[in-house]
Amino acid sequence: MPVLDETTTEEDVRTYEFCVLYPSNLSQKEEGDLLKEIEKTIEEQGGKQVSKDAWGKRGLAYKIKGHEEGNFVVYYYELDPTKLQEIDTALRITPNLLRHIIVKPPKGYEITKYSESYETWLKEREGEGERKQKEKEERLAQKVAEKAKRQVKRAAAKKEEEEPAKKSETDTKKISAELDKLISDDDLDI
Amino acid sequence: MSRKPQRRQDPRHKKCEFCSKEIAYIDYKDYPAMRPFIDYFGNIMNRYYSGICLKHQKMLKNSVERARFMGMLSYRK
Repeated sequence: MPVLDETTTEEDVRTYEFCVLYPSNLSQKEEGDLLKEIEKTIEEQGGKQVSKDAWGKRGLAYKIKGHEEGNFVVYYYELDPTKLQEIDTALRITPNLLRHIIVKPPKGYEITKYSESYETWLKEREGEGERKQKEKEERLAQKVAEKAKRQVKRAAAKKEEEEPAKKSETDTKKISAELDKLISDDDLDI
Repeated sequence: MSRKPQRRQDPRHKKCEFCSKEIAYIDYKDYPAMRPFIDYFGNIMNRYYSGICLKHQKMLKNSVERARFMGMLSYRK
């Protein structure tokens, strides 16, 4: 049976990722206190902060304790693996903390700040929305123009139809008048 | 006239998208990477249809479950 050698594990240090979710409707003082408390609980166990990434307000996929929006903060700490359990239990009983997760990133993991990529993604999406609206408007304008053209064509066709009819009417009148003249002419020999 | 029967593409011939990009770890915070493999109801797509290899499917499952726990993804629509 392999036995866990505690003397060796105490010395080696790994980076751990702590993701924390708390409600967005906290006051600034409460928020500051909460974050300080979280940092304190980790640093009390000998954690060294590598980086911190505050995501800001985000919508949640489902309600958590009645909250529909929450703030995310992602911490990276260099930590002794044996202290993880205590931190987890301490975080579990901190007030105002909705969810927390502790992840051991794999070796060679590059810390990426998802708050920035999220903002760029949002901007791209906005741009996409604007583009879509523009395309929609263009399509509408084209449709209107086509309809106007068709109407003009139809009106022209109608006029053309009416004009020869009128012409033919006048022609028939003229012809009938001439015919009358001819018929009434006494010089005619038939 | 004999028409050719319309055939769907065989799902078995798809290739793993994560393998082609040589991804070693799927981050649970990376929503755009996971989105193509989650359907309208929030379920993870079957490996048979998405063509992911077993190694990456397990990674995906892990990261999706983490994201669901943190409220970034929904369990059920």
